[in-house]
Amino acid sequence: MTNTLKRKPMDATLAFRIIGGLFFAYLFFGFMLVPCLDTLTSIFTTKDANGNVDPFAVIRFFLAGNMGKYVLNSLKLAVLLVITVNVVGISIVLLTEYFDIKGAKILRLGYMTTMIYSGVALVTGYMFLYAGDGIMTTALKDAFPEMNTSWFSGFNAVLFTMTFACTSNHMLFLRNAIRGIDYNTVEAARNMGASPFKVLFKVVFPTLLPTLFSLTVMTFITGLCAMSAPTLLGYDSINPEIVRLAGSSTADEAFPQARAALLSIILAMFTIILLTVLSRYERKGHYLSVSKTKAKLQKQKITNPVANVLAHIYAYVLFIIYMTPVVMIIIFSFRSWESVKARKLSSGSWTLLNFFGSQDYQYTASSGKIKVREGAISGMFSNKDTISGIQTSFVLSVIAAALACAIVVIACNYIFKHKKKGAVLEYALLFPWLLPTILICYSYRIFFNSDSVWYVFNQNLYYEDRVRILIVLAYMVVKLPFSLRMIKASFYAIDDELEDAAKNLGSGPLKTFIRVKLPIILPSVLAVFALNFNALFTEYDMSATFNSTNGRTYAMVIQSMVQDEGLSYTNLNASGRRCASTVFIMVVSGLILYLVYGVGARDLSERLAIKERRRKRLEKLKKTFAGKDKKAEAEG
Amino acid sequence: MERLNASQEPMIKLDNIVVKFGDFTALHDINIEVKEGEFFTFLGPSGCGKTTTLRTLTGFIEPYEGRVYVRGEDITDVPIEKRNIGIVFQSYALFPTMTVYDNIAFGLKVKKMKKDEIDEKVRAIAAKVDLSDEQLKKAVSQLSGGQQQRVAIARALVTEPAIICLDEPLSNLDAKLRVQLREELKKMQREFGITSIYVTHDQEEALTLSDRIAVFNKGVIEQIGTPNDIYNHSQTEFVCNFIGDINKLSEDIVTRLTLKGADIDPTWNHYVRLERIHVNEDQRPGVLTVKGKVDSREYYGLYIKYYIDLGSQLIKVMERNDGVHIYDPGDEVTINIDPADLMSYPPKEEAAE
Repeated sequence: MTNTLKRKPMDATLAFRIIGGLFFAYLFFGFMLVPCLDTLTSIFTTKDANGNVDPFAVIRFFLAGNMGKYVLNSLKLAVLLVITVNVVGISIVLLTEYFDIKGAKILRLGYMTTMIYSGVALVTGYMFLYAGDGIMTTALKDAFPEMNTSWFSGFNAVLFTMTFACTSNHMLFLRNAIRGIDYNTVEAARNMGASPFKVLFKVVFPTLLPTLFSLTVMTFITGLCAMSAPTLLGYDSINPEIVRLAGSSTADEAFPQARAALLSIILAMFTIILLTVLSRYERKGHYLSVSKTKAKLQKQKITNPVANVLAHIYAYVLFIIYMTPVVMIIIFSFRSWESVKARKLSSGSWTLLNFFGSQDYQYTASSGKIKVREGAISGMFSNKDTISGIQTSFVLSVIAAALACAIVVIACNYIFKHKKKGAVLEYALLFPWLLPTILICYSYRIFFNSDSVWYVFNQNLYYEDRVRILIVLAYMVVKLPFSLRMIKASFYAIDDELEDAAKNLGSGPLKTFIRVKLPIILPSVLAVFALNFNALFTEYDMSATFNSTNGRTYAMVIQSMVQDEGLSYTNLNASGRRCASTVFIMVVSGLILYLVYGVGARDLSERLAIKERRRKRLEKLKKTFAGKDKKAEAEG
Repeated sequence: MERLNASQEPMIKLDNIVVKFGDFTALHDINIEVKEGEFFTFLGPSGCGKTTTLRTLTGFIEPYEGRVYVRGEDITDVPIEKRNIGIVFQSYALFPTMTVYDNIAFGLKVKKMKKDEIDEKVRAIAAKVDLSDEQLKKAVSQLSGGQQQRVAIARALVTEPAIICLDEPLSNLDAKLRVQLREELKKMQREFGITSIYVTHDQEEALTLSDRIAVFNKGVIEQIGTPNDIYNHSQTEFVCNFIGDINKLSEDIVTRLTLKGADIDPTWNHYVRLERIHVNEDQRPGVLTVKGKVDSREYYGLYIKYYIDLGSQLIKVMERNDGVHIYDPGDEVTINIDPADLMSYPPKEEAAE
């Protein structure tokens, strides 16, 4: 052994750690804490008419004016949503996983449709059906001419739409929980004489309670922070009001920015309280099965014939509610503008114009002259606005999703190696979870709309194209907690001995990370990237808060198509294009979910098996052709 | 032990090793010398320090005090990857995202060897550990436990290390496979002739595989010796209790032995192995014969274990199953205890002094 074998000084690692530490401090203080603190302080630095600081002016305004209405409305929505979402969510999970219902597989697909389209796409889909000029309302109007066509608006419409939009989490988490139940416990209860419903309430439900509690808190927060449904369906809740106030000026009303800040902080307070309650509850522990050999849950037959029929009817009514908007949107995306405008299949024709190509529109003006409006009918892939929205959303989402994943992977690598310091870093990255996205975006919009923020080199990030940097930063920060939770879980799969083995075989830290650890966590990282992208690509709340023409995302373009509908001579097929856009979103989301849960979940042995099958098929094909060639030669 | 190198220089020398984790001292003054080509086992219960000693030797843990020598050279400050010590981990630590071939080739690729050379070495070592070309193409998850173990050994040996360390490599396997692989492991070690350090808590594994054993307890070495030394001449009460099954004689039996003329200190603790006691044997001079009644028995096939009630204690006896002399619970029997078979230790307080 020579002296060259002695340990090298740790300069490179130390430098890497210092740079990493500075980066995470910059990220936390610069883009999480400082902008939000600025929003908080803005509440107490309002100036009166004489220019004197009046710390409690906004709070007095809140107590005296009608600002409380927005908070109460949001709370009302959140509370009722918890009830309706849980009723529907638990129903659909029980109907597809616990009870023996005929056609459960098809029903499940129907109930899962909200996983491939949500937000603005879903709300506009429901509007397409139930709004004043919607398909269902039009059909009902024909049958009952006296009916109130604007029935689908305000609170009831928001509650209805969000009830069905927010059951995706139930289909993901509650379904997993119910599938994890040990069937032996059900059999034991039945063996002791309990009826199927007694088993459900006394054995099954108690094991689902922790999941249900988490889902309830998540639903409450969703209701409280609702944005697209109240905005599009017209309901005065906190978030749309924040966005309105953010765009307002002191010339129009009293201290709008400070009022928006106060509402954001109120929202943050609710979120913090709820998440604290949730994490305390989660810490108490879950009811895990203590069986050594778990038995797979078998579906329960509803023995009472009347209850069985009623359960089937209920299951299929829910299926129709879930499926109708999807089916109608797909059908109408292939219909010509006349058909879409009339909301009837009887008029117009089948077309691909909502997707591809464009057409001029010829009409007779009031003067009697025949006029041509060029390109008034255009497909989503030919429409400049839509393409620009897709491009913007695509680029911003890819960058933000990738950045969030990269930051979290580096952070997790550190967290797993350094328990104490790692915990500080982990809490810093989970911090945005406590803040409503709207508070983050609002804070960014106000704080960075200035050229005196030194740590971004005195650049106004809300100015012109730079707003895109701001959107990427907001997207990334908002996605950090989710990415951390998911990717951290995948790091647990790395056995400490793997790293030791690589080290022992001569591999340095970077090489070990790239060649040993990264391939193990890569499927999870890619899955998180895809899920982040999926959520951001059709995201509306954040871009609406930024509300900048330079950062006009796909969801904002879809929303504008709703407004364009009346302008018949310029944007004739706005609704058709909207249907096509929703179909496009469904395809993209479906594809991503397939890649994540289908292809991405395969391990090396499955991939090798597929490769082997392909090789054999190719060989067989070659042999077949070689055989044919020989035959042909022989015949020749 | 002829095959051991006659050289005076030990292959491995752990010199006064102390390892601390904060205020807790995990290893107290460990001294071990291992000869070249020797199969040396660290044996002890969980938490006794055997894996910590192995990790100190391999470089994963830096000793608080003491030095580590290989072939007389101080490697205490040499980084892990440059120690030239192969390791087979408890979980095998096979890289799940790589094929069997890539797992074995990993260390060679890190050394930036030529592709042809890597291929040659991988195939040669694979043949030695009985891995076929077909198996080399597979994912490690597609192999059985035994095959995975062979991959782990091949990966550790392909870089031609001076020493191989095996950290409880059989602990994750079922009993039958464990016995089978134990034999294979010994065979392979003999073929390669490599100095091997084996960590286990399983005394049977240690006794069957090792040339020498170090028995650990609470961070200290209780005894180093051959399997026979450890089993038949246990130096401490802990070793005698930890290795194999044993009877601790009651005060009554000890008194009767002294009355019979045995030269033993009645204040000490006296032990006798199960197979040294026999049922219904002829009386012999100097040997204590005690009457008792069969309380219960356990049937092992080759042997039968009897629990015999002597009044003052229940004594365990292991008799060879000859198919003729089989006793039922309730049978009146006699047993013989020869003072020459006793292993005696001073009581704890005295031992501490």
